[in-house]
Amino acid sequence: MGIATSNKPFDERVKEAEADNFMRASVAKSQDAQFDKRTAARRELGNWEGWRDLSAQIRQHTIKYLPDYLEEFSDNVKKNGGHVFFAKDDKEASGFIKELAIKKHAKNVVKSKSMVTTEIDLDKTLLSIPGLALMETDLAEFILQEDNWDEPTHIVFPTLHKNRDQIQKVFQKIGYTGDNVPEHMAKFVRQYLRNYFMKADFGITGCNFAVANNGMINLVTNEGNADLTMAIPKTQVVVMGMERIVPSLKEAETLDNILSRSAVGQKLTSYCSFSSAKKVGEADGPDDFYVVIVDNGRSKMLNSEFEPMLQCIRCGSCLNVCPVYRQIGGKGYGSIYPGPMGDVLSPILGGYQQFRDLPYACSLCAACTETCPVKIPLHDLIRKHRYVEMDQLHLDHSMTNALLKTVGKGTASPALFADAMRGAHIGLKTFGKKTTEKDIKNLFPEGKVNHLPAIAPKLVHGWVDVRDLAVAPKYRENFRHWYKKNQQLTEEEQKND
Amino acid sequence: MTDFLKEADTAQNQEDFLNRIAKAANRPRHALADNPLEPVNELPETTLAGKSQDELLEIAKKNSEAVHVNFKVVKKADLGTTLDEFISEKDVNSLMLPSFAEEKWTDYSLNMWHQGLAIDPVYYWKPELGRENITNANKSDAAIGFADFLLAESGTITIATYPEQGRSFHFLPTHYLAIIPKSKILPRSRQAMDYYEKEIQAGNLATSNINFITGPSNSGDIEMVLIVGVHGPLDMEYVVVEDM
Repeated sequence: MGIATSNKPFDERVKEAEADNFMRASVAKSQDAQFDKRTAARRELGNWEGWRDLSAQIRQHTIKYLPDYLEEFSDNVKKNGGHVFFAKDDKEASGFIKELAIKKHAKNVVKSKSMVTTEIDLDKTLLSIPGLALMETDLAEFILQEDNWDEPTHIVFPTLHKNRDQIQKVFQKIGYTGDNVPEHMAKFVRQYLRNYFMKADFGITGCNFAVANNGMINLVTNEGNADLTMAIPKTQVVVMGMERIVPSLKEAETLDNILSRSAVGQKLTSYCSFSSAKKVGEADGPDDFYVVIVDNGRSKMLNSEFEPMLQCIRCGSCLNVCPVYRQIGGKGYGSIYPGPMGDVLSPILGGYQQFRDLPYACSLCAACTETCPVKIPLHDLIRKHRYVEMDQLHLDHSMTNALLKTVGKGTASPALFADAMRGAHIGLKTFGKKTTEKDIKNLFPEGKVNHLPAIAPKLVHGWVDVRDLAVAPKYRENFRHWYKKNQQLTEEEQKND
Repeated sequence: MTDFLKEADTAQNQEDFLNRIAKAANRPRHALADNPLEPVNELPETTLAGKSQDELLEIAKKNSEAVHVNFKVVKKADLGTTLDEFISEKDVNSLMLPSFAEEKWTDYSLNMWHQGLAIDPVYYWKPELGRENITNANKSDAAIGFADFLLAESGTITIATYPEQGRSFHFLPTHYLAIIPKSKILPRSRQAMDYYEKEIQAGNLATSNINFITGPSNSGDIEMVLIVGVHGPLDMEYVVVEDM
């Protein structure tokens, strides 16, 4: 799929998201449920800020010495009998895995959920090999695959936008005859995929953390499919973003605790596994163990103001608190990385040209920064993207510059400013409507503007199409007038005292 | 087509990549030895520290039950009966067991129990069977295994992979029971990890895999409804042996 999930313009995607009532209700419900679970899990742990400090320190330290840790990890993977390939970009990463699948005569590939494999478009690359079948084995990813490779909508809950009836229809195409009860459908998938697992010869997993000092990889999951992917096939390929590394098992353990609580509100997920190539005497696990370490644009963040983004542990908690994500869901972003982390990451990995709108899909409320378990200043980085787009890349071809210059001149001249204020008052008054009983009492004492003729400029439509604009009080009742009146009142009160 | 396969494990592939990112970072390589990680706090060690084994047992029970585990505490002498009850409750007709040496079974007073099992088939996970173990695990209604530790804070059992008790042992059978001595209950994942880290680095533990398992497999992928039992076991039982 690559990073982009859609080539439609941002406005069009937002309109589609707006019309999808199930998705919006589902995202809101999920955000609320995750808020309760996450808050409870963090509170029970205690001293959450201390844990955030420690987690951020671990991530910052490993990013600072990234080449050294990668070298140590690579040496240890090889010492354990595994193999390492460093891939500069998506083409090299997926090209290597394709060559390996051909060499190993892979027929039945099993995959467990991994964002980086989606990023490098691995499924499509492998399916171009004649006679090769591939199965996504995470329940949500399996649903997306069977639904004609539908787009994911969340990095932890990829099928948040689908209801049980839609999922039932997807499964009916592959022989499901039962009802729409989630447990029943999951039982069907268990058996369906178990049969496939038993003949799997090539397994592909992602990697939550790679352990530098022993060459193991750490996966944090709930369903058990990742562990089967690491146990049954004779060949296993681990695909990891180059920044997903920790010094030792201890730091992996600390981050697993933080990740589980932040992603799903669990103390630990059902399975936290630490794994490498099969050792002599062991009966299962991969005989051939390959790790593909992927850059694919990540190094652009090093030594830049965006370097803190490499701390990300992909917990998705920033998506779960974002008011914009709540309204437009994952598909609105058009990237496999949606929400605040996607606003930062997508333009870097996928380019500003493709994702220039995303830094503006943000109200800068900073809820993401506050919840981030590894203390990435997400809203600050989103703001920095806007600087880059405006000042360095000059991507803004709208009237914004001319407009702001005019505003600058207008506000610098008392006479022009006063004229502009008068004009605004007249405009608001002309298009203003009286409030009704349906409106919140006293919110719009002078009335509100919620409709403008189509001919009005787009910028002005932006102010009233999706919100009500309050009509201002009469021009003469401006701040000076208000201050004078209130100052008199205060002086009188003081005298009375 | 470029031959990427030939580049794997080569010094050039690694050095080109690492030099490139070191240059991008504008930081010298090999500076780590003088700047090791010194954690800003000791929260992983101090959280839940200082509890007695009885207190840890209580915490472990509460947290295990919260993750849908059937939690039992028994005396060594009653362990066999408890396992028989499990077999009967789950209607187990094919069972998978580890092939640890007889001393281990004797330590748990289970030598007579496992030798006298009336179930047929009983599959032992044996290294000499190779991948046939996987097929056997898939055919097993249940597995009864030995965990290394039980973590009180999260209701987690930890298990390294051994030649006698492999990876799929814990994932393919439909029902799963883990036996843990009370003395092996630890406060949190940190203490277990301290053990594994030390043993692996000292060369005392040669394992390719460590599993931290917290209850049965589950998913919230369909409308966020919790489904217990997806790819791994449908249910789990922890049996703590209190006089060990």
